[in-house]
Amino acid sequence: METIKHIFADEWRYWQRTKLGITVLVIGLLLTLAAVVVNTINIQHAANERTQLQKTAEARFVDQPDRHPHRMVHYGHYVFRAPSQLSTVEPGVDAYTGTSIFLEGHRQNSAMFADQRQSSGMTRFSSLSPSFLLQILAPLFVIIIGFAALTREKEAGTLNIMITQGLPVSQLILGKYLALFCGALLFILPVGIASILATLSGEAALITLGFFVGYCFYMAIWCGVVIGISSLCGKGSASFASLISVWVLLCILVPRIGSSTAAALEPSQGKLEADFAVLEELRKLGDGHNAQDPAFAALKANLLAQYDADDVDELPVNFRGVVAQYSEQKLTDVLNRFAEARMDTELAQTQVSRWFGWLSPTVAIRTFSMTMAGTNIETHHRFLREAETLRFDFVQSLNKVHADHLDYGHDVNRYKNEDTAKAAKVDASHWQVLSSFSFTPDPAAARIQQSLSAATQLLFWVLLTVGLLVVAVRRVKP
Amino acid sequence: MSYFKDIKREAGFIAKQKYRVAFIFAAFLLSVFAVWSGITETQTQQETIERLIAKDHTDRVNVQSHQSDFGSAAYYTFHLTYDEPSPVAFAAMGQRDVYPWKHRVRMLALEGQIYETDADNPELSLVGRFDYAFLISVLMPLFVILLLHDLRSGEREAGRYDLLTVTTSNQKALWLIRAVVQSAALGSAIVIPFVIGAIVNGASALNIALIVGITIAHLALWTAIAYAVSGFKQFASMNSARIASSLLGIWLLITVVIPVAGDNIIKSAVQSPSGGEIVLTQREAVNGAWDLPFSATWDGFLATHPQWADKTEMSSLFEWKWYYAFQQVGDQTAAPLSSSYRDAIKQRDKLASYIAWMSPPMLTQRVMTAIANTNTEAMMTYEAKIREYHADLRQFYYPLLFNDVEFSVDVLEDLPRYTTNSDEAKHTQQ
Repeated sequence: METIKHIFADEWRYWQRTKLGITVLVIGLLLTLAAVVVNTINIQHAANERTQLQKTAEARFVDQPDRHPHRMVHYGHYVFRAPSQLSTVEPGVDAYTGTSIFLEGHRQNSAMFADQRQSSGMTRFSSLSPSFLLQILAPLFVIIIGFAALTREKEAGTLNIMITQGLPVSQLILGKYLALFCGALLFILPVGIASILATLSGEAALITLGFFVGYCFYMAIWCGVVIGISSLCGKGSASFASLISVWVLLCILVPRIGSSTAAALEPSQGKLEADFAVLEELRKLGDGHNAQDPAFAALKANLLAQYDADDVDELPVNFRGVVAQYSEQKLTDVLNRFAEARMDTELAQTQVSRWFGWLSPTVAIRTFSMTMAGTNIETHHRFLREAETLRFDFVQSLNKVHADHLDYGHDVNRYKNEDTAKAAKVDASHWQVLSSFSFTPDPAAARIQQSLSAATQLLFWVLLTVGLLVVAVRRVKP
Repeated sequence: MSYFKDIKREAGFIAKQKYRVAFIFAAFLLSVFAVWSGITETQTQQETIERLIAKDHTDRVNVQSHQSDFGSAAYYTFHLTYDEPSPVAFAAMGQRDVYPWKHRVRMLALEGQIYETDADNPELSLVGRFDYAFLISVLMPLFVILLLHDLRSGEREAGRYDLLTVTTSNQKALWLIRAVVQSAALGSAIVIPFVIGAIVNGASALNIALIVGITIAHLALWTAIAYAVSGFKQFASMNSARIASSLLGIWLLITVVIPVAGDNIIKSAVQSPSGGEIVLTQREAVNGAWDLPFSATWDGFLATHPQWADKTEMSSLFEWKWYYAFQQVGDQTAAPLSSSYRDAIKQRDKLASYIAWMSPPMLTQRVMTAIANTNTEAMMTYEAKIREYHADLRQFYYPLLFNDVEFSVDVLEDLPRYTTNSDEAKHTQQ
């Protein structure tokens, strides 16, 4: 134990003396700190703005004047996706998905106004998100600090001396490893602070703890790679060149090759093309605006029979409202079926790209990090589903108002003159049917469960690096 | 002739160092993958557009056959617009995964439709694609650093430095030739797959030459940086790894730090209305019109379309001409916001083009996407074309609606068609 401590302290002294190590440590720490601070401010701002916009949208809806209820179906409503607490560290797909959706009758719109479309286009490779710094740049810093950990001793001949003095190689490597790992922990220190802040603002402690531990594992993997390769190489230059090659491969190449492969293997049809099939099916259902459409003949016959009436104007309900309800239900079934198919394709693509986590710890930590933070594509899909539920809810409530509170006679004559138009309106108090919307990520347990496969990949990499270190211990010779 | 001998010697030297050969071969494989996946992607897009054109036509003919007046014909028919990938788009996909390249519009208020995005899988966009432009702008500098950082120090460490310098006629030329030979090998490994891919894809000779030229320029820049840094007197005592660390520092600064800092500066320098505001304004205007007297709509509409001033009498509380007039007014109300939104995007792009001069990798990427017609400007041009086409639709329908022309499907055969002028689109500019 004493020896390990000694080696540990020695390594830190070396970094101080040579300045290179300490400079990189300080730069890394400052960069992550700056990223966490800037991102936290941005996310706070976005969170406040979206909550505010959500309130405004709801207030505007209920403040609408007396109207024909179907006008409100087309007036529609907006929902906004509030960012999750941990998106201060891991913004995930947020910038690429768009964060608001317009909800209206008869349509499922996609999310609009992705940030990336409004950006200068300079952040397609790099971004100031802490997750980019930790996943891509931190390993590079670890390499620069640690590549010479053992080659230095070899080149100076001090390794010989240490071993002949009876120092076990395992202790030497463990000491160097721990020194480097503690240095790497400095980079994720700001993330630790951000995690604590996220916990205080309401994120489950289990999630933030797991999130932080995940990054510790990631750093542990890279420290293992660095010490392992440094032990196996005879020269500092060889160790450095190999490590940089490994970094380019694992951090930059494999993730991108993964996403290109996913797009090539599981091509998605795109919403526009799928919409043709949707429209074709919808036309078979009949146009809900036109109660005379032959598609609603059976509905009409049933209603007439049920109320023992001869004509629709004798019904106790507004037939046009009933048709609107009926056709919205049918139409939503079709829309949902296609929407689910589309989400399945996206998930299949994502699964392909996530599989590359077995080939690169960077992919594994990215998946893990986004899943834990609730900023992955599944969360976005849930947002789409919840928005759809709300849409269907208020549209059907308005259609029910249409059926129950608006006289059929008034309704069909709504365009005749000013008076009939006035009679074909319902009281604005009915707009209260809108329920309020607030989006939260999946519960902690669900997110932890979702992240298990990525966690397994991370553990696989930990084991792999342990193996590498064991080989290194055996191979190191004076 | 003596240079030729030197070049031959250096080539032989590299060929004997297995890891350098392996390295250059790896770069070749990466380039093959980048070109292959880019071509696959653009072919998919091309096929998608062809399928869409066919489906769009069938769908419209089918819908039109069920209509009985021009108002509902305009309401129910959609019209496809698209932006085809250029023959070199495979090399630089640029903003095509963020901005839409296909869109269907109808005669309703455009501001409510144009922001719909048929975007790609966001998780894949976040990771980014591995295209040729990425290989050249971000990765190639790293390869150059790995190949050239130990130009002199490697020989020093191997103890051959002094021997080499005394056996050569021209010291400086030796290191330069060695650097150039390695870079040239790397460059050829990367460029050859691109050139083959571009020829197969039918790219013009000019565009191929331009992209090869940029590749060479960027490669030359990094070769020069690596050559200069490894030759600094102050660095003579440093080992290879420290020289490489310094080079990586330069790479980090200009590939990551400058673009990220620039992005933040641009964001705060150019304020933009939020997109949500545009659609909200448009929605309030369009939906509010139902509750307003007709004159409110006509006033707004006639301000831009005075020729219909004596055709605004209404025989019922609902007429299609009034309906489309308030759709037009909705667009007009949102127009100032919408155009300042677009101006902000253009302004940001312009500032980014200045900042790119401080970051050669960013500049490389921008020039390539400009040539490939996949940059922000190209995507904005496409949006402008959608707007023009939508205006054409209105110009087509307004006379039919206001003059109360009797409905006939044959008239609809003269509907304006969306065309792409790919020659015009091939202009290359930064």
